Amino acid sequence: MDVLMEPHPSTFVHARHIPELYRLAAEKYESLPAFATRQKDRSWEPLTFRKLYERGRAIGEGLISIGVEPQEPVGVFSDNRVEWALADAGIQLCAAVNTPRGIELTDEELVYIVNHSGMRTAFVENSRMAKRCLKLRSQMPGLHILINLDNKETVPEGVLSLNNVESIGTKRLNEGSAAVDTRSDAVKSEDLFSLIYTSGTTGKPKGVMLTHANIISQTECAPVRLSCTDRVLSILPIWHILERMLEIYSVSCGACTYYTSARYFGEDLKQVEPTFMGSAPRLWESLRHRILTAVEKAHPVRRTLFYIALSLGIHYREAVFVLRGQDLRLRPISRIKILLNKVVAAIQWVIILPWFGFFNAAVLESVRRKAGGSLKGTISGGGALPSEIDQFFNAIGIPMLEGYGLTETSPVIAVRTHDRLVRGTVGPLIPQTEIRIVDLDLGEILYPNSARRGNGRGLRGEIQVKGPQVMRGYYKDDEATQEVLDDDGWFRTGDLGMITFNDSLKILGRSKATIVLSNGENVEPENIEMRVKMSPLIAECIAVGQDAKHVCALILPDLEACREAGFAAETLEDLVKQPELRDRIHEQIHNAMQNPLEFKRFEVIHDFRFLSRPLEVGVELTNLFKVKRHVIHDRYADLIREMVEPEVRHD
Amino acid sequence: MIDPDVKLLYAIDKALLAVMILVIMFGMGASLTLADFKNVLRRPRLVFIGFISQFGFMPLIALVLSLALNLPPAVAIALILLGCLPGGTTSNLFSYFARGQVALSISMTTASTVLALFMTPFLLQLYTSPFTQKISEQLGSNATFVMPTKDIVLSLVLVLVPVCGGMILRRFHAGWAKVAEETAGFMGMIVIVYLLGTAFYRHHTLLFSTPWPIFVATISLGLVGFLFGYYASRLLGAYPIQQRAISLETGIQNTPVAFAIILLSFPNFELQNDMLWVAILYSIFIVMSSSCITLWMRKRGAFDWDVYQNTLIHARLFGHQWKTDYPKGYLPPRIARDPSQGALREDSIRRD
Repeated sequence: MDVLMEPHPSTFVHARHIPELYRLAAEKYESLPAFATRQKDRSWEPLTFRKLYERGRAIGEGLISIGVEPQEPVGVFSDNRVEWALADAGIQLCAAVNTPRGIELTDEELVYIVNHSGMRTAFVENSRMAKRCLKLRSQMPGLHILINLDNKETVPEGVLSLNNVESIGTKRLNEGSAAVDTRSDAVKSEDLFSLIYTSGTTGKPKGVMLTHANIISQTECAPVRLSCTDRVLSILPIWHILERMLEIYSVSCGACTYYTSARYFGEDLKQVEPTFMGSAPRLWESLRHRILTAVEKAHPVRRTLFYIALSLGIHYREAVFVLRGQDLRLRPISRIKILLNKVVAAIQWVIILPWFGFFNAAVLESVRRKAGGSLKGTISGGGALPSEIDQFFNAIGIPMLEGYGLTETSPVIAVRTHDRLVRGTVGPLIPQTEIRIVDLDLGEILYPNSARRGNGRGLRGEIQVKGPQVMRGYYKDDEATQEVLDDDGWFRTGDLGMITFNDSLKILGRSKATIVLSNGENVEPENIEMRVKMSPLIAECIAVGQDAKHVCALILPDLEACREAGFAAETLEDLVKQPELRDRIHEQIHNAMQNPLEFKRFEVIHDFRFLSRPLEVGVELTNLFKVKRHVIHDRYADLIREMVEPEVRHD
Repeated sequence: MIDPDVKLLYAIDKALLAVMILVIMFGMGASLTLADFKNVLRRPRLVFIGFISQFGFMPLIALVLSLALNLPPAVAIALILLGCLPGGTTSNLFSYFARGQVALSISMTTASTVLALFMTPFLLQLYTSPFTQKISEQLGSNATFVMPTKDIVLSLVLVLVPVCGGMILRRFHAGWAKVAEETAGFMGMIVIVYLLGTAFYRHHTLLFSTPWPIFVATISLGLVGFLFGYYASRLLGAYPIQQRAISLETGIQNTPVAFAIILLSFPNFELQNDMLWVAILYSIFIVMSSSCITLWMRKRGAFDWDVYQNTLIHARLFGHQWKTDYPKGYLPPRIARDPSQGALREDSIRRD
């Protein structure tokens, strides 16, 4: 039916492993750009699929000639840049294992990763990073070769540049060597493609072994289709598995990845007009903040129009969600009630439609343009998406595809799609993935369980996964592997969740973060923290209280917001001393938690202390701004003890 | 047709309508710059295709509909008048959402607004003669009805005054012009809603007593216009993004101009009532039909638009010597030759 619809052809390359993917992508997409980087003069430098493969081959050949063996871990200590992609192509094509990490890691972590993986060769982002490695050389005797990715720099003594390696390889290829192609052809899909050391929120780093089959399955099962007309903006760290998977997926589809940075993010959204991107909740929080600030400063008429449009958007989408069966269903619901809800929603839809149509065109379109205007959606990972942010962007017409996964599952287990966008959940499972919900204490399988109502839907327990994306294990750590991976291939995620009655996965918290109070009640800190953080005055909230009588919290006030709210203070230290602030925050927390349907009595924050220093990325926060609870517990042990053991204070 | 005793519009409504015409035309001017006129010369071929579509097909469609449905003379004249009108700024907005080439839409609006000064009276004179004769016969032997060509030209000139005013404001104060443009859009909507509301409240029986051919005619005029604009421009070699712009520009007419002409040039009360009713019906139906058409075009054009946009963004980011080559067989033949659908070529003309 050409008259009605012209289909949107998607492009995709089926490959068995990454080296084959790079080759096939070059054959299919040739001179299309695979990656692009911003230059100083605001123009962008493209790297074509052909160039990516050919240069990758040369680098791979060069790596072989400097002694890199098949399946050997090769480090890449760098943040996002196009040379990262080239280094990866080189590593993959010579069948080595990319072991990536950003440069914001502590010396301890660096030494641990290098020594634990037995790494002999590593790429480093720049000469600063190279010098850091050289300084620590005595602690990592195995690391012989450092390769500087930044070709514009003069490299320190004893360090190679990427150009050096590439030209060695080019020379050998010109002399007729084809060692790199032999290596590529010998790769098997069960071979490792990457060894990723997690900067998890708990414990020491573990090396997650991911195979070619793992990552290829993710591209094959991806529920969102991209094509060679798509532009993907890259803002998450490339060594993070979600971004990594997206980039590999983009290569499969022929889409171009544009590297941006936090500093240029707003500008690049307008320049590149991305159609898709991987993102973390923090990003949308700040974009929403920017939009709302602009609205507050706008003319009152415009402000009113915006809020009318927003509220119409919210009600319109809600009606659509119900009509499409995408409402959150935590309890079983009868067919009659579903039908009734749909009738009500249909009426709501008809009434709102013309008004929404007008306001969507007149107001919301210009808001969407702040995000480039072409976004078909964004996949959000690396932390739960606060519900008001979720609602906000869905209402203005940017679909938030929240997903769920871990490094160990390369990473996607479940993700919302445009057709199955159930708010409050992380969507349906991706194809080929099995899940079960297991009772933490008794080990009983709650879902799927035919003895239970609705096959066990709506019951809460630990999420366990089986599928082609589950890792081979932790590198050189059988004990840790056995803890999470059983013989049948079931992987314990350590997260709590349930399957809703319309078959979406809802995440309820991290079992490892669960606070068990002295009376035996379990408290999930994430929900509490997210609710409390909705207060503009509160930048960060960490709930504590393991083995204590009540839940308590550490609060980091937002200095800017507090100053705007009338607190005169130059620094955080000054601010937290003010008794008025304590009263204000107390009131805010009280208001946030007073709904008994939302929070049970024992979940309410009983006492709190202020933090007087912002949390730092790499110390208390992971690079994705997730709080490392164990670090907080160590650092602020005194403050926490003060709250949870009030007797001590009275003595 | 309409009972001559029925007052379709009260004096206050007419005053409101006049103010609305003034504001909308001023807003239209505020959205235009001299560059828009120059741009017309940058794509003469496409503007000419648009011209044929707007002043060639549309009046003919109106004439054929009038004859085929055997419409009463006053209704036929109103319908033909609607067919001979220039495009307005509404079509530019719809063009944006239909993934059409907005620049072309603006060029067509600009060109047709100027050309309407000659074309509208000329075409009216040409196509309405069978119907003016009928009116003269009905009036009896002692009077003849003559098309008030002079008055029509005068109304068109009068309507252009606020447009020039808007353009002058835009020239000297872009910020205020933006406000004027948006206010006009919003006011236009509110006044239309008010007029419709009061008209329906007072004359809801009118809706039921209107004979069906008039509904068919007022609905079809826009729809057939869209259809002709879409496929005829394709035959004449327009790319999909241009087809969509030309189609919408053809079907959506500048109705405020119609109201101005009817109010100013046809003082005969009976005739004016009938003509106003036709213009009102067209205004209502065109909003609905162009919304639906826009949604359809948006869906249908999703792919070629993605290609067009991606190609243009590549050129913008990687420099104009960059050429985006899509995989063989990926693009339909029509856009494979030039994935930018002519846009890059136009830009290169400007740079030289």
